[in-house]
Amino acid sequence: MAYYVDRNVKMTWWERSYIPEILRGMMITSRHFFKNLFGFVPFFLGKKKDREIFTVYYPEETMQFPIAYRGRPVLALGENNLPNCVACGLCEIACPAYCIDIIPGENSGKQNEVERYPVKFSIDYAVCIFCGFCEEACPEEAIFMSDQYDITMLDRKKMKYEMEQLLVPVADLKDRMDFCRKMYGKWNY
Amino acid sequence: MWIDLAITMVKILFILTITVGFFAPVLTWVERKQSAIMQDRIGANRADILGFTALGLFHIIADALKMFTKEDFIPQGANRALHTLSPIIALVPAIVTFAVVPFGGQYMLWGKEVSLVISDLDVGILFVFAISSIATYGYVVAGWSSNNNWSLLGAMRTASQMISYEVAMGLTIIGVLMVYGSMQLTEIGAAQETGYWGFILQPVGFVMFFTAAIAENKRVPFDAPEAESELVAGYFTEYSGLKFGMFFMAEFIEMVTIGAIMTILFFGAWHIPFLPTATLLSMFDFLGDDFSNLVVMLIHVGVFFGKVTFFIFVQMIIRWTLPRFRYDQIMKLGWKVLLPLSLLNIVGTGIVILLF
Repeated sequence: MAYYVDRNVKMTWWERSYIPEILRGMMITSRHFFKNLFGFVPFFLGKKKDREIFTVYYPEETMQFPIAYRGRPVLALGENNLPNCVACGLCEIACPAYCIDIIPGENSGKQNEVERYPVKFSIDYAVCIFCGFCEEACPEEAIFMSDQYDITMLDRKKMKYEMEQLLVPVADLKDRMDFCRKMYGKWNY
Repeated sequence: MWIDLAITMVKILFILTITVGFFAPVLTWVERKQSAIMQDRIGANRADILGFTALGLFHIIADALKMFTKEDFIPQGANRALHTLSPIIALVPAIVTFAVVPFGGQYMLWGKEVSLVISDLDVGILFVFAISSIATYGYVVAGWSSNNNWSLLGAMRTASQMISYEVAMGLTIIGVLMVYGSMQLTEIGAAQETGYWGFILQPVGFVMFFTAAIAENKRVPFDAPEAESELVAGYFTEYSGLKFGMFFMAEFIEMVTIGAIMTILFFGAWHIPFLPTATLLSMFDFLGDDFSNLVVMLIHVGVFFGKVTFFIFVQMIIRWTLPRFRYDQIMKLGWKVLLPLSLLNIVGTGIVILLF
């Protein structure tokens, strides 16, 4: 429903005499001023919570993102120090921007060893659109969206991360993993 | 004779330091930081020297450096001479006004009577108005000589606004002059030592003078002449570098001037309430005659500039509270509200003075 502003508000003579309403407005602004001033000065002594200011001093302070935030995708490094990835190529296919590049390799097929593994796995963050489809497509819990978003380089070629740069220990991805299980219901057969 | 000259030079230097050297640069920082804190932001804090930011105070130095090193651009088709001259016409009256502003009383220092005013004119308040209306030429000429439509529009608005509010401003203070019976700023100040302060005797005049003074200074509720959202920057659209800085400084120094005039006319000048100079002197009797005078002088100067700072703060709050008036509303307020009310104020004051 459209919202109409009533432009013909009948003001009382008290409101029309300017001064009291101006004083009221000044009270509001000075209230904010003094409240923030006394919350602001202790901030430099290490107290943060008392101020009402929501601005983040960006490089020094960073925001706490909710777990659903989609930052750059990372690869999970399993407990056996090998990537969880089995180089199935589902994320490569799911990726709408074609930023994932996988070269699969084959293991000997002995017991307790996955048969396929990625020889090369690269994500070009200059191309990535942070959609999270790779994470949704992955059947092995190998690729996750992290909370890092500040990938800035002076060289476009450096934006292409290789596997060594992408791997993150699985213990660090616990929360996101739980969230994905809940959201995508991957293992709820 | 040489002593008198030296004393006057010291007073001039003091005024220049406190306006151009202290208030004008610090207010550029205060305006940003105060508005930021008021609006739940953080504000200027990035300029640092060796990782030390001092609440963003170094932005003053950064600003000054920027203004000194920027290209001084004169647009094509502009009148070069007037384009250069107008910031000077705008800035100088703002500083010259302080010649008659007393920032303290009279004190006996080592056998020499020192009056803390550079030039004690009989028609002090008239001098203030006369000089401050010269500044209008600076703004109008700046707008005209820039060869820019926005500038010209801003200049025309400046001219009409300043002329209409000068009438109201002149009439609002007549009540004060009637009450204290003098035009000399030092006498008006001295009369408030024991008598009532101006804003008690003249509450209507106080509010109206403040309104008219803000309108004269073209600050926010009345900033139609510069109006960033309508006229780019009004009369100083085509200015850059130090010339822009001069317009900028003129605005801030005028804020200090308004604060000083308000303090002298309505807020007890350099006096502390219920504490006349004689009592204050007797409190510092143990220091000896000369040093007690010196201490009292310093206290009075401090009190005066404290009050000025308070009025500057109020102006800042108003600037960040109210939205801009429409142009016709400004004119309506000036001619249909302030002018009749100030005339009524004069009549009312006259009747009261006659009866009591």
